[in-house]
Amino acid sequence: MTTTKVAAPARRSGPNLGEQRKKDVYRRTMARLGWGFSAPALIVIAAVTIFPIVFSVVMSLSNVNVLGSGFQIDGFTLDNYNVVFTDSTWQYALVFTVGYTIVTVVVEIVLGTLIALVLERLQAGRGWMMAMLLVPWSLITVISATLWDYIYDPLAGVATQILSVLGFGHPVILGSPASAIIAMMIADIWKTTPFVAIIVLAGLVMLPGDVYEAAELDGANGWKTFWQVTVPLLRPTIALAVLFRVLQAFGVFDLPFVLTQGGPQNATTSLAILGYRAMFTDLKFGPGAAVATTTALLVVLGCLLFLRVFRSQVSETEM
Amino acid sequence: MNIARHHGHSRRTLRVTAIATAIATVAVLSACSSGGGGSTSTGTPTGNPTKGSITWWASPITTSGADPRTVLINAFEKAYPNIKVKLISAPNDTDTNRATLTTQISGGGGPDVYMGDVIWPAQFGAHQLALPLSKYLGSSYWNTFASGLVAGATYNSQVYGAPFFEDQGFLYYRKDILAADGLKVPTTWEQLVSDAKLAQSKGQVKYGYVFQGANYEGATCDYMEFLADAGGKVLNTKGDASAIDSAAATKALTFEQSLVTSGVSPQATSTFQETQSMNAFSAGDSLFLRNWDYAYSTSQASGSAVIGKVGVAPMPTFQGESTPGYSNIGGWNLYVNPHSKNVAADLTFIKWMTGKTAQTDLATQFSEIPTNAAVRSSSTVKNANPVLAIVSTTKLVPRPAQTPNYPEVSQAIYSNVNGVLAGSLTPKAAIQKANSQINTAVKNGGL
Repeated sequence: MTTTKVAAPARRSGPNLGEQRKKDVYRRTMARLGWGFSAPALIVIAAVTIFPIVFSVVMSLSNVNVLGSGFQIDGFTLDNYNVVFTDSTWQYALVFTVGYTIVTVVVEIVLGTLIALVLERLQAGRGWMMAMLLVPWSLITVISATLWDYIYDPLAGVATQILSVLGFGHPVILGSPASAIIAMMIADIWKTTPFVAIIVLAGLVMLPGDVYEAAELDGANGWKTFWQVTVPLLRPTIALAVLFRVLQAFGVFDLPFVLTQGGPQNATTSLAILGYRAMFTDLKFGPGAAVATTTALLVVLGCLLFLRVFRSQVSETEM
Repeated sequence: MNIARHHGHSRRTLRVTAIATAIATVAVLSACSSGGGGSTSTGTPTGNPTKGSITWWASPITTSGADPRTVLINAFEKAYPNIKVKLISAPNDTDTNRATLTTQISGGGGPDVYMGDVIWPAQFGAHQLALPLSKYLGSSYWNTFASGLVAGATYNSQVYGAPFFEDQGFLYYRKDILAADGLKVPTTWEQLVSDAKLAQSKGQVKYGYVFQGANYEGATCDYMEFLADAGGKVLNTKGDASAIDSAAATKALTFEQSLVTSGVSPQATSTFQETQSMNAFSAGDSLFLRNWDYAYSTSQASGSAVIGKVGVAPMPTFQGESTPGYSNIGGWNLYVNPHSKNVAADLTFIKWMTGKTAQTDLATQFSEIPTNAAVRSSSTVKNANPVLAIVSTTKLVPRPAQTPNYPEVSQAIYSNVNGVLAGSLTPKAAIQKANSQINTAVKNGGL
């Protein structure tokens, strides 16, 4: 307070004006210098993220031919999008990817929150438990997918053996559409639930203790406290976990790539698999880029929509 | 003032430094992304045919023992001491291999010589990702290959790949069980099914016949054999429209489906690639196996339950058709990157690799089927193993890879075949679906 009072009249007085200008110049100099120093980093970021994104959008809007001498891009066209939107495989892949994302994220959030609640209450061995929980998450997906491939193996897989002992015959888990989709979801949930649990646990630890004391004084039971205190307070954390997970799940690639190659037939062909196939197997970079661009747009729109709904709900509860 | 001047000075210096750094970064980045333009019009190869260093991109050829790639490179470097060949191990998976190569080559880089699938010439030729070798090598060279192979590597009357080693489908069978049951090696599918059912009913094996039906290229290879046996084909003669919607195609697919539904082949066939079918056969679980050339040595390797019990024969066909049945062609060609700086040395390497010494080594040491006609018919090679002995008696059918859109044509085949084997499509519906997808694909439409 005192400093502003002193500084305010000083700004108006004559001799200090020059000094102020010098300060401004200095600040501008430093700002420019800052830009200069960050330029290499910014250029690298532009080169590895912004340029590919722009390039992909450009490719999706033109006739692209990949040649030994590079990419041949000519003319503006909406054909690629037309091809994509009218393709029944794309339509199926969209439904599959959205469904896959919703189911896995919802299950992961519920399970992850439950695990976090247990971990928070844990008096001893929390560190050990967390370390163990993080093992699935720390495995590279291609490796964990290969492990699941062994588990689902139709001849020797553990899951197949268990199901046949339980009286399901000898199911070919990855060989029929419904069971292949479920099997893939299980592999995803196994891997990423710990990630959600850790995020939610971090949120839980940060919750203020006095709110709980107040709730206890008001006579709220455990169930009520959970729904009316813990859950509302955890909303921002859960929102963060949902965003992370949706962004990842919507781009699911490695699990179907390893487990089913998008099959049986096209049952587990996600948008990412479809785009990859169009680009790198068929060398159709235009339609492939259109798949990539629409996928990115859809997931960004989905996240924005989620945030908006979520934010309005938060402000309602805050009121 | 002093301070200001000092600031001004340091500012200029720093700004210059910052701009210099920025320019350097841009320069480095653009250097990474730009490459040679690549010339394709000349008839004389660039570089020195006996000197220099080249890179060879090749995926592993065998899974155990000495690496044929390094064995061959060492022998080549002995013959041409002034050419150094550096091996770059390529991904095992054909599609990943292609994705990596196309990205590298279209980005202006990539290896000098690469080992690529026999189904690539049209696609790679159309996209100028491979050098048309027939511009540099005359017919006297191309005539050294076994018949049909060079035609398979040709697109728009240019040869894009030199056939390196060939592969094809074979019928592997259990000698011991056929002998015990007093059966001859089946030459028809109908006979194979009845032999299989007999052995299964006697409890000698779990499965009668294992083959490849997963959602991948291998399912196209296997279906091509059934289809050719039934008298059908995928594309018309011009290669610009589908010809798959036929009674023969439905017959072939219905038969393939019946193998699974009758229990002759496992329910899990819709997830079987080569490895799974090989494992079932090596474990002694199946009477017959459809697999490539490598399967004989794998079935005789330690850990196998069928050592000394395996025979190999040409594929069977449908009753009433002329025997033997069709074997699908696989294998690998050697291609040259259009960006290669030393095409002359590349060609020397390729000629040596497809010549007598290398081809004999490939056959006798690594039991690959040589592409060189003279080597293939030599008695040393024929006596090397039972598979090489019957190569001259098989009947071949290529995949419809003469279209640059072959990958999509193949997807249309294997995804629908896989759908039938998984029980989610009827053969008739699958053929109709494949038909419309193939028509879209050859017209360069669709995704």
